[in-house]
This record gives sequence, C-alpha cells and structure tokens, in this order.
Amino acid sequence: MRRDVLYTILALAVLALAVIPVGVAVFVLGFVYGDSPCVMCWEQRIGMALVALVGLFVLRYGPKPKYLGMAVLVAIWGVFMGIRHTGMHAARDVGQGFSAEILGAHTYTWALFIYWVSVATMGVLLLMTKKEDIEDQPRTLRPLEWLAGVVFLVVIAGNIVQAFASTGPPPFMGQSDPVRFSFNPTHWVWSLEEWSRAPISLRGRWSIDKPDVAAVPSEPGAGPLADLPVLSVKTQSKLTLPLAGTPTDLAYDPATSQFLVTTQQGIYLADETLGKVNRYTVIDVGFAVDLGQFGGAAFLDKGALIAVGENKSYVVLEPNDKTDADANFRYFLESFDKFNEVSRSRFGTVRARMMYAMSAAYDPATKSVYTVTVPNNKVKRLVISRFGPDLTLSEEFLPTIAAESGLKLTGKRTLDEFYVTGTAIVDGRMYAISAAYNTLLTIDLHARAVVAAHAIPGLVRPTGIALKGEDLYIVGESGALWVVARPPN
Amino acid sequence: MEFLNLVIIFIAAWLVLRKPHKERLAFGLLVVSVLLMVFLFSFATRTGLLPGVNY
Repeated sequence: MRRDVLYTILALAVLALAVIPVGVAVFVLGFVYGDSPCVMCWEQRIGMALVALVGLFVLRYGPKPKYLGMAVLVAIWGVFMGIRHTGMHAARDVGQGFSAEILGAHTYTWALFIYWVSVATMGVLLLMTKKEDIEDQPRTLRPLEWLAGVVFLVVIAGNIVQAFASTGPPPFMGQSDPVRFSFNPTHWVWSLEEWSRAPISLRGRWSIDKPDVAAVPSEPGAGPLADLPVLSVKTQSKLTLPLAGTPTDLAYDPATSQFLVTTQQGIYLADETLGKVNRYTVIDVGFAVDLGQFGGAAFLDKGALIAVGENKSYVVLEPNDKTDADANFRYFLESFDKFNEVSRSRFGTVRARMMYAMSAAYDPATKSVYTVTVPNNKVKRLVISRFGPDLTLSEEFLPTIAAESGLKLTGKRTLDEFYVTGTAIVDGRMYAISAAYNTLLTIDLHARAVVAAHAIPGLVRPTGIALKGEDLYIVGESGALWVVARPPN
Repeated sequence: MEFLNLVIIFIAAWLVLRKPHKERLAFGLLVVSVLLMVFLFSFATRTGLLPGVNY
C-alpha cells in the first residue's frame, strides 16, 4: 500500500514535470506563440526532461541508489543553471527581463523554482523510501505510470521537432538570441555562432581587478595630453601624523581649519599644519555595508564628513565629544567616543558601474558629493558622478576637452587613461589629480569639460588632493606631501 | 546539438518503457545525455562560468 502510494506520487511528479514546464514550453509557448528557447533555456528544459526521465527509471526499476543519485545531480545542476541564467537579469529594473513573463516572473526564473521543487520532492520521496523498496526485477507499470511514460515520450517528440527547427541537427546548436519558432523551413536559422572562439572565464565581466595606484605609469610626458604646462612643487615634506595605514585621500575645511586624512580604514581630522591629529577613528569597514577600503573623503556641511570606499560605498560621520562610546562599539575599531556614525550606504551609478573610484569631493554650491572612476582591466572610462543632498545619483558625465583650453590628445589617446585618485572642488571647478601621468586636470563642472591640465613632475603615487587657500596639497601613498600653487585658470 | 540530446532522451525513455531488459543501455544513454547537457551549458556560458552577479 505504502509502496503504491510512493509510485503514484512519483508518476504524478513525472507527469507534472513533463506537462507543465516541458510540455507547455513546447506546445503552447513554442508551437502556439512562436517562442524559441535560447541556448541556456534549452539546457534548462533538457535538464527538466532528464529529471523526469530518471523518474521513469525509478518507476520501472525501483529506487536504486544510482538513479536517485543521478536525479539529485541533475536537479542541483538545474538549480545552478537557473541561478546562472537568472543572474544575468536579476539586477534589471522592475518588469525587465528576457523573453516571456509568466505569472510575474520570466521563464528562466521559473526554471530555478522548478528545479528547487524537484530537489525538495526527491527529499520527501527519499524520506518515505525503505530498503525493501529496491526492486530486483523491472516492475510492471500500472496504468498511471504508463500514462506518465507515454506523455513523456509525446512531450519529448514535440521538443525534438522544435529543436530540429530552431537549432538544427549537430553540429548546429541553440543561439543566445533565438529566432521566432516557425514550422516554415524558410524561417529556420541554424547557427554555429556558439562554437566561435571566446575567452574562458569564471566571472566574465565581473572579473575586475581592484584599483592599484602602483600599477599605472607616472611619467607626465607619456600621457594622452600633449605639451602640458608644468606646475612646480613648492614644497615637499612627509606626513608625520600617526596614521594606521597609508594615506588614501585628503580634504581641507576652511570653516574649521582642519584637514581630513583617510587611510584604508582610518579617518583622521588634523590641524591646519597637518602636524597634529585632533580626533580620529578606525572604521570597521566589514561591518554591515562593506566599505572595502577608503579611496576618497570630503567635508560635508556643518562639520560632517564622508569617507567613500573604492567600491563606492560610504560612511557619513559627525564629530561629537559627547557620544556614547559603548553604542559606537559596533561601528568603530578604535577611538569610539569621537564621532557619531550618521549613515553607511552605497552610491548607485549608471555610467560608472563596474568601476572603482579613488576620490571624493564635496561641492557646497550644489550640496553634492562627486566621485571619479579609475579605469580597470574591463572598463576604461573617466566618469564623473554627482550625488545630490540625498546622496543619490543626480548627474553623471564623461568630460570632454574644452575647445578654448588648447589641450590636444595625442593620436587616438583619450582622457579615459587618467587615473584620478584625488579631487577638490571650488567655485564650480574640480581639481583632479591623476596618478597616471602625474597630471592635474581642471574640470569645469558646469561645462562638463576639462579646461586646463598641468603636469606635476616629481609626484610618486599621489592618492589625494586638498585645496587650502591658493595652494593645492597633494598626499602620496608613501605619506609624502607636496604643495603646488593652484593653477591660474 | 539540443536535437541530438533530445533524441537520446527519447530513445532512453523508449527503452525503459518498451525494452526494460535493456536497463544498462538506457542508463548509459541517460549518462551521455546528462554529460552532453552539462557540456553544452558550460560551453555556452564559458565567458562567465559562474553566475554573473556581485559576489
């Protein structure tokens, strides 16, 4: 009796798997609506057919371990295929996707769900299976089990027809962007496109190197802009502040006459001579929102400050001498009683997506924070992003070269080669220091254009820049501090 | 290639239903079909074998 129930459940499961996803896909979506699977959908559909086929094996030969093991393997591979396919579209905007939507979810998402249900069903059936259920001889199928088998064959036959029309015989295979299904051979497209050479990668376009200021060329004369005027270093010294880590950015607040210095995890407020730390803290960057390591920092209004990770996540702090050190234990690793953590979140970008940023600057006129991207092994663009008072993306552009600047790119070089590691903003102008080619770019934020550029020979891996009075303070990875005069234009 | 794989599946199911004594052959076809599916999916996604999301 129990055994009959088990086989009945299994037969119904095979029927359900054959009819609902695989059968509907071919006879309704395919033959009626002309939908053709992409190459990944095909394999997901075939995987479902294989799970059902293993079900037929069990109906005929009993729950032998090799069949159960195969069913689990195919189903978890199906779950992987579902995640792989859904992952391509999971971050799109609401309603967006690829191909047909069914009951509010696209087909590849349903595949993930169906495989997940299959695994769960197998688990339940295995729990109910006993040792004596293993058969020595092939079973005689009952009518319902025969029905499951016949329906399975019909569904597979339908899929064979669709596969022949849509993908063709070997060596042709499915396509990334499939052609609408038709019974008319003149509309068939058999493609070998998938067999073409392509690089093998684990993470594909997500395989992006972390930024590294040491990996970029520094010689100004080798840069993309020809014949740059030179800004001479007025003074060169070394930071003597007791920093944990190396400097990653610098900012100056004329209202409080303080410098802000960041290291990988540290935030330091120093006096105007950069000789003494007024207050500091070390952020637990791995707590909650992953801040990576700080690449940029800026003073906001009313004494607040922002430190931006290279991954464009940020933390906003407020100096506070009366803060609750115990309450801050969760946020900081050192010096718990000097700041309040106001917020910790991430900047969302569009053009700057898939790129790291090593700078941040605040423009009081628009109450906006700016970041500038650094090129990487996959994406090479100089993108300036502005985040308004709500710290949400408000503007994004790729600067051009102002005609009146007289600047000229050499050959087919572009501004995208610059590696901006520090920025400061005053009067609508951004001063951006590039570790690549040791070049200072002056960018008009209203015109969205580079209006001047200067070579600064002698810099070594600059990581931050601040404007104090008429001088630009540039800090380097080694702790070096250079002072140059703000360019006249 | 999907056409070939589905034909293999059809034959395996046919053997299970109509020639149950050919269990080894049917299972062999099942294994071939599974391997072909894994190969084709992996080949089609070789430029990014892992799910393309933020890790």
